[in-house]
Amino acid sequence: MSAMDRLAAQLGIGRRVGLGWPLLLSGIAAAASVALLGISGWFLTGATIAGAGGMAAVTAFNYLLPSAAIRALAIARTAARYGERLTSHGAALTAMAGLRTRLFGTLAAADPRKVPDLASGEASTRLIDDITAIEDLVVRRSALPGALFGGVVATGCIALSGSRAAVAFVVLAGVGLMVGAALARRVSTGPARAAAQARGRVRDRYVELAAARPEIIAYGLADRVETALAGDLAALDAAQCALARGEAALNALVTVWSAVLAVMMLLLADKGPALAALAALAAFAGSEALAARVRSALREAVVAAGLARVAALATIAPQPTPQSGVPALPLHIGGLDLAPGARLVVTGASGSGKTSLLETLAGLRSAPLDLRVGEMQVARADGATLAAQFALAPQSAQLIAGTIGDNLRLARPGVDATAMWSALEVVRLADRVRTMPGGLDCPIGEGGGTLSGGEQKRLSLARALLANRPWLVADEPSEGLDPVTEAELVARLDAWLTQTGTGLILVSHRPAPRALCDRTLALTPLP
Amino acid sequence: MRKNSRAGAFWLLDIGGAAVFAWGLAAAVAALIDGLPLLVGVAAMLGGGAIRALSGFAAQSLAIREAQRSVAPVRAQLHRRLLGEVLPRPIPIGESAAIAIDHVDRIEAHAARFLPVRQAAALGPLLVAGCVALASPIAAAILIGTLIPFVLGMILAGTMARRAADAQLRALEQLSDLFVERLRSLAMIRHFGAGERITRQIGAATQGVATRTLAVLRIAFLSSAVLEFFAALSVALVAVYCGFSLLGILPFPVPETLTFREALFALALAPEFYLPMRRLAAAYHEKQLGEAAHAVIDPLCAAPPAPPAAHAAFVGIEVTDLVIAWPGARIGPVSFRLGNTGMVALTGPTGSGKTSVLAACAGQVAASEGRVSAPLMPNIAWAAQRPLVVPGTLRDNLALARPEAGEREILEICDRVGLGPLLAARGGLDLTLDHRAAGLSGGELRRLGLARALLSRRPLLLCDEPTADLDAASAAQITALLTELAKTHAILVATHDIVLAAHAQAEVRL
Repeated sequence: MSAMDRLAAQLGIGRRVGLGWPLLLSGIAAAASVALLGISGWFLTGATIAGAGGMAAVTAFNYLLPSAAIRALAIARTAARYGERLTSHGAALTAMAGLRTRLFGTLAAADPRKVPDLASGEASTRLIDDITAIEDLVVRRSALPGALFGGVVATGCIALSGSRAAVAFVVLAGVGLMVGAALARRVSTGPARAAAQARGRVRDRYVELAAARPEIIAYGLADRVETALAGDLAALDAAQCALARGEAALNALVTVWSAVLAVMMLLLADKGPALAALAALAAFAGSEALAARVRSALREAVVAAGLARVAALATIAPQPTPQSGVPALPLHIGGLDLAPGARLVVTGASGSGKTSLLETLAGLRSAPLDLRVGEMQVARADGATLAAQFALAPQSAQLIAGTIGDNLRLARPGVDATAMWSALEVVRLADRVRTMPGGLDCPIGEGGGTLSGGEQKRLSLARALLANRPWLVADEPSEGLDPVTEAELVARLDAWLTQTGTGLILVSHRPAPRALCDRTLALTPLP
Repeated sequence: MRKNSRAGAFWLLDIGGAAVFAWGLAAAVAALIDGLPLLVGVAAMLGGGAIRALSGFAAQSLAIREAQRSVAPVRAQLHRRLLGEVLPRPIPIGESAAIAIDHVDRIEAHAARFLPVRQAAALGPLLVAGCVALASPIAAAILIGTLIPFVLGMILAGTMARRAADAQLRALEQLSDLFVERLRSLAMIRHFGAGERITRQIGAATQGVATRTLAVLRIAFLSSAVLEFFAALSVALVAVYCGFSLLGILPFPVPETLTFREALFALALAPEFYLPMRRLAAAYHEKQLGEAAHAVIDPLCAAPPAPPAAHAAFVGIEVTDLVIAWPGARIGPVSFRLGNTGMVALTGPTGSGKTSVLAACAGQVAASEGRVSAPLMPNIAWAAQRPLVVPGTLRDNLALARPEAGEREILEICDRVGLGPLLAARGGLDLTLDHRAAGLSGGELRRLGLARALLSRRPLLLCDEPTADLDAASAAQITALLTELAKTHAILVATHDIVLAAHAQAEVRL
């Protein structure tokens, strides 16, 4: 079992996925191709000899069977190819639907602190590309064994023309298969890796430059930018070119080899010219197996890295699902002890680590801070324990694409419309949502689209309220509100906290929400 | 892009090789029948194979070079546009990278794999028919005759198939958008323990798309089935015609008498008739993706570049009801005025569009509504949150905006922005930096950007979060510096920092 096969098996697309029907049909199509050309050649040659032999020979020559076979094979090849494409795509689609779901399930169940960050556009795009490449691998799985079966049928046809020719075909085609695969790996592995690395460097550098776009424009630095990317782009182009030339060279070898195979058949066949023609044309058609072998080896080199990346993601260990309604644990934050239901405001200058503290509590990241939940250091607590204690309304609202309801239902299973409306009332968003087309079913775009920044943050706060956790963790919840609305939000939040006995960890630079809290922690910036 | 590539011409030469091979095969088998030596026929077969191998190699390796040559200027212009020129809407960095790298890859694949075979697909079949006609005009007529039902079939199945294939591409794109969006929201999904629920949702969506896609593919693959059918049928018809003709039992009279060599030549070339079109069909995916990428890239490259700004004296900037909108987001309206000197602070939560407003003030992003009194480009200095660092010395990087700046001026400004200790500790202006600026802290980088802005000697200074992530002492120094500079410069800051905002003459909340 090769490394590729092992990785594929880990991803649930082991050897047999994409075979079955596609393999059978691909074999039929390849066999029909070989037989169509071989029988045609035999038929013509036989007809010539019979035609030269006068009327008696013509009458004796059974032309009905071969001519019917030729037409039947043409139809069989078409039907089998169509069926093969359909079934192989069907198998790949089903397998990939499963893979996507399993992969997402694994990532969603993992501890956020132990997973590579996929939030950036580059990381998620690369994952999609990798998955697409793997899908392509599954689609084409049946091509090689099908073509090999065509080679076997060709050997059978050739055997009719004599054993010498058949042995020569098996040996020469076998050598071609092995040498072709080895050469394909040799010419593609290096350039494929070089291309992937160069593309990675171009991407990293490009992202840095895109971040510096305002300066580039203001100071007219476009020429410098071009120089900055030129080296890596040239390396990328060179690697792509090498890859394409390697592929072209191998295709050329396969073409020469198939001509050699056809010639050898003519030289070695010893059962008459008609069967020699059959052997030559069957060998020519059967050498499609060589081309298929080379294509599959080339593709493997390109897909290998992506397969390994996806497999690495798919094997991250899961953590238990955080539960709502667990008993509250006391907290210890920066020297302060907080009993369940306590309310703390965290203050400090910009950059002093307020947001970082909240996200560490919520289990989204690890920062070296003195934080304990119950008796446990936060750094050592598992993500599920933390998520069960805290409901975070983060600094950037972090909504998901979907409807208002989709976002609120994220909070916990079984959130109903009544609960959603009452949470929206608390955050002063109910009136706004009522005016939106579809109400709770109104779609908001990626990142909150149609809602203003302040509205997005309040929707995010409503989501945290619905999560039913012992501690609410809110980062600047009233930003962008006018004083009157802000006062109402604070009053309702106060009532809600008291009524539910929920504790609060707040970051806000505004006096109104700060008044909710009776404890204060002043952070000083880390040196 | 050049319409006629040399790569396409080599695919036509490939057909010549196929004809030589077919001639050799026919000659060799005829020699077998007549009991003559095979030498000439075998040599022609090998020669034909060699011609095909060389022309195929030349076609494929030329195709990639021609593609790279034709895409390189597009890529350069695109990079220039995306990184250094005015855009019709703000493009997020992730999307910008996808356009500049992945979409460019796709147009390259389109140019390398699709365009050359398209050229050969138009002429190739006619060339094959011409070669066959030399031996048997009727066989050639049969081949061309299959083209008529083939074209009709392609018009019927092909239109349906194209629509189906495009719909499939769109469905898959939407699915991958959903997947990507949920991946980006993973942190919150995990935080609320919604992993299983969202996974079920993703599972249902992917399974649904898989089922629908399969229904679509049944139609989409019809066009390739039509192609496959006529490719097989043309071989079968030529074989049966030639066979019956050689037997002399054709049920209808024909104006030609075939010899065996002519018949076998026609038969061996018959599969080549549809081969160029099958190559074209194999590149259909590249065509689809390439055209989709062109649809994104071409308008970006086609928009005329902004005219070079004439130098004019700076008399302040006035922003009136500025709105920046693009599908799904809207920033503003914003109004303020800033004279020759003084400081205005733009404040608001993360993601509220502070940087976009700064960019619009700098004329780097087009306003959707309202107006910005044009602060001509040469008047603007931009101090970035994370400034651009080019590989080279610290001196190069400081003087990036005005390379002719003198040593004394550079040192003076370094002192002013608080880079003095860095220079003293790290060997002065000759300190070598790589593009990651390894060894410089966030605060030092911020100061580098500010020093660069001051060295550019421009009257309007735009600062993006000049104090974010700095310790209190450094933030206070920068705030003091900006307050001091506001006496001689017009300064517009986008900031979270209430202390800095308090030092501004006006605060604009987004």
